[in-house]
Amino acid sequence: MDIVVSIKSLVFTYQNAKEPSIRGINGEIGDGEFLMIMGHGGAGKSTLCCAMNGIVPRFYNGEYSGNVFIAGKQTTQYNPSDMAKRVGLVLQDFEAQLFSTNVELEIAFGLENIGLPSVEINRRIDRYLDLIGLNGMRKVDIYTLSGGQKQRLAIGSVIAMEPNVVVMDEPTTDLDPVGRQGVLSLAGLLRDGKRTLVMVDNEPDAAVGADKLWLMKDGEMIAQGVPGDYLKDEKLLVSCGVMPLQTISLFRRMNWQGDPLTVEAALELIQKNNLVQYRDRIIWTDSNVFSGNNFIIEAKDLSYRYPGASQDVLKDINFGIKRGEFVAILGQNGSGKTTLAKHFNRLLKPTSGELLVNGKQTTQYRQNELARLIGYVFQNPDNQIFASTVKEEVGFGLKVLGENAKVIEKNVAEALAVTGLEGYENMSPFVLSKGVRQRVAVASVLSVKPEAIILDEPTTGLDYQHQRGSLDMLKRLNKKGHTVVIITHSMWIAEEYADRCIVMKDGEIISDGKTRAVFADEDRLVRASLVPSPIVRLSNRLGTKAMNVDDMVKELSDESIHLQ
Amino acid sequence: MNLSIYSDDKTWLHSLDPRTKLFGTTIVFIVCLCFNHPLHTGAIALCMFALVLSAGAQKAIWKLRYIILMLFLFSAMLWPFFTSGKTIVWTWKSLKLTRESILYGLAMGFRLSTFVITGLILMATTKNEEITDGLIKMKIPYPLAFAFSTALRLVPTFVKVGATIVQAQVSRGLDLESRNIISRFGKFIPLAVPMFISAIRYTNLLAMALESRGFSPDMQRTFFYEPTMTKRDWIILSFLAALLFISLYMRIILNMGVVMPGRI
Repeated sequence: MDIVVSIKSLVFTYQNAKEPSIRGINGEIGDGEFLMIMGHGGAGKSTLCCAMNGIVPRFYNGEYSGNVFIAGKQTTQYNPSDMAKRVGLVLQDFEAQLFSTNVELEIAFGLENIGLPSVEINRRIDRYLDLIGLNGMRKVDIYTLSGGQKQRLAIGSVIAMEPNVVVMDEPTTDLDPVGRQGVLSLAGLLRDGKRTLVMVDNEPDAAVGADKLWLMKDGEMIAQGVPGDYLKDEKLLVSCGVMPLQTISLFRRMNWQGDPLTVEAALELIQKNNLVQYRDRIIWTDSNVFSGNNFIIEAKDLSYRYPGASQDVLKDINFGIKRGEFVAILGQNGSGKTTLAKHFNRLLKPTSGELLVNGKQTTQYRQNELARLIGYVFQNPDNQIFASTVKEEVGFGLKVLGENAKVIEKNVAEALAVTGLEGYENMSPFVLSKGVRQRVAVASVLSVKPEAIILDEPTTGLDYQHQRGSLDMLKRLNKKGHTVVIITHSMWIAEEYADRCIVMKDGEIISDGKTRAVFADEDRLVRASLVPSPIVRLSNRLGTKAMNVDDMVKELSDESIHLQ
Repeated sequence: MNLSIYSDDKTWLHSLDPRTKLFGTTIVFIVCLCFNHPLHTGAIALCMFALVLSAGAQKAIWKLRYIILMLFLFSAMLWPFFTSGKTIVWTWKSLKLTRESILYGLAMGFRLSTFVITGLILMATTKNEEITDGLIKMKIPYPLAFAFSTALRLVPTFVKVGATIVQAQVSRGLDLESRNIISRFGKFIPLAVPMFISAIRYTNLLAMALESRGFSPDMQRTFFYEPTMTKRDWIILSFLAALLFISLYMRIILNMGVVMPGRI
């Protein structure tokens, strides 16, 4: 097999950084291979991706040593447009990568840049729109595409330039499960088309289909080899900030033989070795009714339409969230989750119907009264961080609400303690990592001590350990009496942490109930572009109640004790 | 919410060469500057309004209706106090209003709205890429042409980011409703800092995305939509050139359409 990418003792230190981001990286990628790179936040995955297409060091200043060869030539010797013909780079943020008016022009942009005649451009638009599943959408305004379609278009616009290697840096992080599947199956198509593919992703199921896996930790390469060899190793994955495969975890904990990487493989092994007693499938009653009147947030026939739009984005929404609940709002990109949540603290006002907080319409509150009742953490912490120290940032809400210095001091200290930010008080929030900035944003909302806290995608861009860290923190707050509402695409987070799930599709609630009941109805979830995590799919098929590995182990062990 | 101005349609204005539309917009701007009588600038505004209907650009105008209305009202109300004419209509202490200054204010209101409406017609009927291509064909250097059309394109993006930042800070209790000017100034920093950070981050990502699509300022590129001047383009350009000539002739030689002689 020909070697397309060859990396030799690569070290790169960003300007003004003390430590190198990547060091001593060696590796080779063969023609037509599908390589998966995984590692914790800050492990150097993105830097390595950027080094492969020469953006490091051409675009970023810093100290660079070692070599990266693409098709035998050093990246530093290519000029950008030659490089684009060799290596295509797809970034996580699909919004920033799409800048054209419509779909065909987006694909055409790169092809114009490398000087193809318009007949050829036309031919390639046809071919690649077909590949990415957007045929017939040539003239469509990019704004109207779904998240998954946008990311597929970003990939299409890069592969249309027919580079030797396609590098994708966390292309699925911002997508709902079905959008993510679309991108992953596109990766499969590319591989079948003998195109070399490098992908960074932190969910282990994506690595199952890869030819090779590289694991990174603190800028160094920890492991290189066949994915199956390393995906079996729970400890190794966790130490690299990667979530272990739930099927593997279950088999290890139960002392069962075999290393099933997928739900199907696990089921096959269970049946073959008769590991679990057959049981009837539980019929979960979908208790849609949440009785009582102790609602902190309640929607009555709520509809919303953006000014000047011709369609409602929220249609006749009814639900009530009780004090002390932990609720997850799920649904595909653009289903109206964020629009709904923005009603909770009156960032948006219902077009018709009403939204009540503690039984009173949000429109009857003053904004700063609502800020004390409902805290709202936005998806991107950088949308709100501005102060020069963490302490000032976290105390800002209290200050503008007119609290005195003593209260501010006390509440800030408490908020920092609960978010695990002690010791960061006098640091600038801008030098902190994404995970820590996210916690600063949460702390700055917590310091006001709102009764309910709403978080929009609190885990996007965080690695496994930080995701767990944030959610454990939210669970603690919830235990202390705060109502918690999260909007998330991450199924395992909803399954493990939420008491209740609200599933949205096209501006309507299609499912609302106890998390277990909601996740038992896989057909309905698929309609909302959601797919339960492996352990729940397994649980649904085995007829168990468990929604995470721990509970599953407990449930199945109790049974075996019972049998004896 | 969709903030983009372009409407995907197939009117005669959409199918014109971008160069024709860029020249046309410039000519309308100059013709507007020729007159300061409200009947004349009003007539031009009316013509442009007819063009809006024929270009199907009503949506774009509707999106920016408040801005257009504000521009008209503010200039119609403020100009009369800053200009002076001969026929006094009303006085109070040192303030005075004259018939000429009131007419001038109205003319300016029409003129400014016409500027905005004309710009919107251009953007509603011309894709960003066509503007770039048109500018390049007019021998504007590629980096400049690209920067111009990218700046236009980024406006809705940044408006959206700005709205999110305002919402994020309001959620934390930032009170933007209070009227105190001094305290308002203090509220500027929590909005400005995230705005700058986002803008820098976004442009950085955009630059990376552009590079990985082979963009470099000094390259030879091809055009997927090759702009071509048709007979219709030349007819329209000749018509506009004649209009420009007549307007200049009316203003400079015949001194028509003027309420305030010394002013543009």
